[in-house]
Amino acid sequence: MEMLYLLLRQTMFFSIPLLIVALGGMFSERGGVTNIALEGIMVVGGFTGIYFINQMQSGMSGQLLLVLAIIIAIAGGVIFSLLHGYASINLKADQVISGTALNMFAPAFVIYLARMIQPSGIANVSFKNTFLISKVPVLGDIPVIGDIFFKNTYLTTFVGFFILIISAIVLYKTRFGMRLRACGEHPQAADSVGINVYKMRYIGVMISGALAGLGGLVLTIPISTEFKGAVNGYGFLALAVLIFGQWKPMRILWASLFFGFMQTISAAYSAIPFLLNLNIPSEFFKMTPYIATLVVLAFSSKSSKAPKAVGQPYDQGAR
Amino acid sequence: MDYIIEMLNIRKEFPGIIANDDITLQIKKTEIHALLGENGAGKSTLMSVLFGLYKPESGTIKLRGKEISITDPKKASNLGIGMVHQHFKLVEDFTVLENITLGAETVKNGFLKMDQAKKKVMDLSNRYKLYIDPDAKVSSITVGMQQRVEILKMLYRDNEILIFDEPTAVLTPQEIDELMNIMKELSKEGKSLIFITHKLEEIKKVADRVTVLRRGKGIGTYNVKDVTKEFLSEMMVGRKVQFTVDKKDIPPKETIFEVKNLSMKTKGTTRNALNNISFKVRKNEIVCIAGIDGNGQSELVYALTGLKHFDEGHILVNGEDWTKKSIRYRNSHGMSHIPEDRHKYGLVLEYSMAYNLILQSYFTERFQKNSFLKRKNIIPYADSLISKFDIRSGQGAQTVARSMSGGNQQKVILAREIDKNPSIMIAVQPARGLDVGATEFIHKQLVAQRDAGKGVLLISLELEEVMNLSDRILVIYEGELVGELDPKKVTIQELGLYMAGAKRDEVKA
Amino acid sequence: MNNQNPINQYFNRLSRKKGTASLLSSLTAIGIGLVIGLIILLITNPEEAIAGFFTMLSGGFNDGTRSFGNVFYIATPIIMTGLAVGFAFKTGLFNIGASGQFIVGAYVAVLIGVKLPMLGGFQWVVGIIGAMIAGAIWGAIPGLLKAFLNVHEVIASIMMNYIGMFMVNYLIKQTVLNVYTNRSLPVAATANIPKMGLTTIFPGSSINGGLLIAILFVILMYIILEKTTFGYELKACGHNRFAAKYAGINETRSIVLSMAIAGMLAGVGGALFYLSGAGVYIEVVDVLAAQGFTGISVSLLGMSNPIGILFSGIFIAWLQIGGFYMQRYSFVPEFIQIITAIIIYCSAASLLIRNYLELKQLKKDEKLSNVINSDTADIVNSKNEGGKN
Repeated sequence: MEMLYLLLRQTMFFSIPLLIVALGGMFSERGGVTNIALEGIMVVGGFTGIYFINQMQSGMSGQLLLVLAIIIAIAGGVIFSLLHGYASINLKADQVISGTALNMFAPAFVIYLARMIQPSGIANVSFKNTFLISKVPVLGDIPVIGDIFFKNTYLTTFVGFFILIISAIVLYKTRFGMRLRACGEHPQAADSVGINVYKMRYIGVMISGALAGLGGLVLTIPISTEFKGAVNGYGFLALAVLIFGQWKPMRILWASLFFGFMQTISAAYSAIPFLLNLNIPSEFFKMTPYIATLVVLAFSSKSSKAPKAVGQPYDQGAR
Repeated sequence: MDYIIEMLNIRKEFPGIIANDDITLQIKKTEIHALLGENGAGKSTLMSVLFGLYKPESGTIKLRGKEISITDPKKASNLGIGMVHQHFKLVEDFTVLENITLGAETVKNGFLKMDQAKKKVMDLSNRYKLYIDPDAKVSSITVGMQQRVEILKMLYRDNEILIFDEPTAVLTPQEIDELMNIMKELSKEGKSLIFITHKLEEIKKVADRVTVLRRGKGIGTYNVKDVTKEFLSEMMVGRKVQFTVDKKDIPPKETIFEVKNLSMKTKGTTRNALNNISFKVRKNEIVCIAGIDGNGQSELVYALTGLKHFDEGHILVNGEDWTKKSIRYRNSHGMSHIPEDRHKYGLVLEYSMAYNLILQSYFTERFQKNSFLKRKNIIPYADSLISKFDIRSGQGAQTVARSMSGGNQQKVILAREIDKNPSIMIAVQPARGLDVGATEFIHKQLVAQRDAGKGVLLISLELEEVMNLSDRILVIYEGELVGELDPKKVTIQELGLYMAGAKRDEVKA
Repeated sequence: MNNQNPINQYFNRLSRKKGTASLLSSLTAIGIGLVIGLIILLITNPEEAIAGFFTMLSGGFNDGTRSFGNVFYIATPIIMTGLAVGFAFKTGLFNIGASGQFIVGAYVAVLIGVKLPMLGGFQWVVGIIGAMIAGAIWGAIPGLLKAFLNVHEVIASIMMNYIGMFMVNYLIKQTVLNVYTNRSLPVAATANIPKMGLTTIFPGSSINGGLLIAILFVILMYIILEKTTFGYELKACGHNRFAAKYAGINETRSIVLSMAIAGMLAGVGGALFYLSGAGVYIEVVDVLAAQGFTGISVSLLGMSNPIGILFSGIFIAWLQIGGFYMQRYSFVPEFIQIITAIIIYCSAASLLIRNYLELKQLKKDEKLSNVINSDTADIVNSKNEGGKN
């Protein structure tokens, strides 16, 4: 039983960042901007957040430090995403190419920065993990649920679920959400009723920057003690989650849990006697999430529910 | 004067084109004012200026005698100006109510509060007899209802000046009558209407005054009851226009093209996109498929040309079964196809004109050897078609298709399809978006094909085109053929009843 | 007409050419990228910035014929991956999977290079052919997924990158592992591509016949794209898939073939790099092959044109060599990747410049033809509708 809880908790560690980043991607794409730069934004968010912890941990620790790091990671992500917004919205550049450029830029830039600003001259930014919550009072005593969600957990898990709920409400129940969706479906229609398509798209991209930046930090904290300037394709997995989740918040949750579980298998197979006994080479476990992504997309891509105008630059003059 | 809105001496240039050259348009309160002109005459540009989408080089706009500046559509809307666009600006994934309120939502603390909006919309709907279903998704309602949604969008915003941009193109004659009544009702209720059109009939029916534009210039403003249709058309085109096409009486000969019991299913619904369609086209005959947009015409064309798979039925050309033939077989063995959307299907806009002219024949021995393209044959071939069809462009055969005007792009397609010397020519809305001169040219070519012993299948939404060109009319309604009519005997009204599904006969091949 | 004098005519003709506009926008992007790079250097290390910057620009001049030859040695594989990206791009596909295709090609080449010395003088040729096949298969998979199941090729080929990397790591461990260094075994001498006399021109460098093979592929791809019916079909699919279908072109076949050829090119890149005789081995680490991603930059900067890719490949290699020598100062080679990324970002944006130039030309042409023809409304419209295809 303890083994199962461990697995489920581990699944949370991988699912929550996927959930957060995919929701970020949802805001960008629902507004009409393809955001393939999620990977790069995660790197920037992870770097800024972890570097902040690295610098402050001598005087601070625990949840307060984590909350501040979250804010810093979000800020880093937002600022970086503006580059994508500027190219996609103002310059009407090819959004996939702009995203690719940022994906190339981010890891090189943070490694360069780490090496230039760290006295040691090394690329990795290390941190002390003082953020584990061993048990949430009261809630941790609930059978089963308490064991899965409220023991040996991180604040970020709750942040993830909070973001999910807020996202669903914002997207469907607010004026902003309705206008954003209109911009992704039919920007000309939105423009004709006085909605500023550029502004809405910018906000969408910035939300995706905030959430992807946060995702980079959330991904790194539970599974590592240093940030190596890479997120190993997580941004792309989040895109797959978004596609598999059909651009809808609740479906994105299920998709991210599925992918998180796949990732858990690849990362924690050695701790699971059953899997270890199969004697399958480690490389095959590492491949699982990527193969699973291909298989899932192969079955779910035929009828895509992508926002109709996603990826198309909007030109006001063209009507 | 009691003008509600005035656009005075508007001039708008684009690089190389003067779209609006010193145009003046003055609208009286509560009148229906028609704006008449061909495609490209500058109507859209003028309205875009009114909406603040374009900034004019010179000229002034006055609202109730006071000079104003309109910088963006939102401002125009705040000033009470609204427009029903030719291509509806509706979000398909949203409900009717959401579409009407979008941009003017009723909210409480940022959260949507739709009840109040719904009440207002339903009140307006009842008052103006604009019947809608507020909770239906736009993707599932009829074109007529979509138009009503667009009108309600303006009324919901309390707009006073209502612009209708070519509103009748997608409607049946009966629906057009209904719209005319709604327009009259609106003007009676104190609204001022601008009615953009190139259909003289409708102007005579509903408008009080008319302003004519031609090639970016204002030709004049007239009281509709003082002028004749002939006069207006001459003002619009700049010369006398022949309304009918010269067509000799030639008895049709043997059957060249036959469709038997063709059916196509629509994914995810029980309704068929096409249901049991059978007809024949004979040599020396133009058969026209008439109907309102969206009744299965596109699917029929896709099925006949091989672009889409169909479920049941047969296609025969010269007695040969073509049901299972590939697109390439069809277009290289006697079927020509002038597609509905020349930019989507007809042309590779990035390719030169020469490359577009060989789009379906690049693989023939004439144009390639050992799979190397033979430029020394391609260019002269293109040059010969260019001179034969009088295609005009900046750099001859090397001109990139994108940079050509619509009329000349259509000529490229026409040249390519006629030069194939087909048995059967399928022409879908061949004159769409073209000016009168280019339309005449295209029509003459189609008649020439018929006279030369080909079969022509014309799919058209324009009733005038249908009546003028066809030897036989087949009416399509909800994916079925519901009437076979003789253009010499049928009236437009009767044709309209068939198109609206109000009347139907058994149609057999 | 006032612009009848010959100089004006010459410039008119020049600016008309699509290539000129492309070149101009690429050069602009490079210029902006370099300036921003210099600013970053100045901020992070003001004392050494200028010296470091010029060391980077000096690239192949830093160490005589050795560094100059090494520019071509570095350029060889990234020209191939650049072609892999560019070729698919012509069919409207974004092949971000060159990295995986590169590494599976490399593995097969190394496997043949280690295990089949009995092939003698043909060993390197067989190695390259093996790499071609492996790369083609790896590229064809996302192609098939796209053509038949509508899976977005970007996501699919990213996943193929990771799958390829892990699989090659596994296979190396099984077949050609050097257990002491945790990388692949050295290949037989006959598996290395002959120098073809190039080392006499650039003594001391790692340049080899691979460069000539890459150039051969550049020419081949140029001919296929520009002169053949196959290229006509591929580009038609890339520009407008609907019109291609209308013309009876088999889009499914075009997508799969285009991706397979792209994969093949990247696979050859892998062979050319690891059979170069320069003492490089496939490392068993969980890191994607960088050459695949550099190929994206090469292709974008070369505007997907094979000839352009040849030059942009050499240019980026030049910068990379410059980056290597920048380590004389306290700079790290990642800086080159930063500059490259900025250049790509600017070049994505600078399509604007090209479009602007083309549009200007368009209006000029229209003005001329306006004299004889008046229905102009479509020009503005058609320009705007194109992007939606």
